[in-house]
Amino acid sequence: MTSIHQDPRAIELGAFALTELRELAPSLVFATIVTDDGFELVHAPNNSFEVGRFGSMSSSVQALSEAVTRELRIGDSSYVVIAAEKGHVLQLRVPGHPLILAALFDTAETLGKALASSRRSAERFGAQLSSTLN
Amino acid sequence: MAEHVILFAGPMGAGKTTAIQTLSDIATVTTEAANTERHVVDKATTTVALDYGEITLGDDEKVRLYGVPGQKRFDFMWTILKERAKGLVLLVNNDSPDAVAVAVDYLSNFGELVESGCAVVGVSRRDIARYPSTDDYADAIAAAHPGAMVPVFTVDPRDSAQMITVLLSLIANLKEDVSL
Repeated sequence: MTSIHQDPRAIELGAFALTELRELAPSLVFATIVTDDGFELVHAPNNSFEVGRFGSMSSSVQALSEAVTRELRIGDSSYVVIAAEKGHVLQLRVPGHPLILAALFDTAETLGKALASSRRSAERFGAQLSSTLN
Repeated sequence: MAEHVILFAGPMGAGKTTAIQTLSDIATVTTEAANTERHVVDKATTTVALDYGEITLGDDEKVRLYGVPGQKRFDFMWTILKERAKGLVLLVNNDSPDAVAVAVDYLSNFGELVESGCAVVGVSRRDIARYPSTDDYADAIAAAHPGAMVPVFTVDPRDSAQMITVLLSLIANLKEDVSL
């Protein structure tokens, strides 16, 4: 059985989702979709980032955020934000799939718009993936 | 109350999460994710950030137990957690290919703890694979770290008594190290 991060249909849909995210949020610097355990499905754009490392870190951060919400009994984690001086990282689950969308935006984007764009892309990607794989 | 931070490291499937669950007095914190590499190690989930547990030894010794992911792609978690660790328990599954080399390789990532005598090795799954022997591990580790004392135990991470023996052995070494 092919893992989801190696499934050409999932990769194609993931690439489309990241293209759409870039159109929605021009300040997007970099985005990737990874499995829960950190394997990359797709990333964009191609640049000098250490892509695999960012994917692994996204996986760890997602799991830690969910461990915290579980420990505090405050329900499911909706998204994670790392706000830094020169940009912000935002990540969230792809609904219905063991996948995480993680994106780096520069500071030209408001956090609210970055979140709305990322959420929309993740939801559409999740729905498309469900209808394609099922 | 004396407190120690002990790190559990080693390859995926060696039993790190199980060992911490076995030892911990509290409900452990886990960060498990669906395992995509079922062809590498056939288990449903894998640790992607850390495991956390606590055990109190005697009246006044609290040990914080941190487990790190086994895969090298998560080695940034090794770096973060080893900075605060006073000791290392390296677990290696004896049925993995070239298990001795795997142990030596993992230890090289925690050189400071190994060189200061604050590391022990637990060899798991020896009921599945009898060889290599614990002496094979001890010889290879001694060759890689001349002068460092790294005890090697056979362990079943599910066995509380065995894991406590390993932990006490390590903590005894920590105390010797502190007294120097």
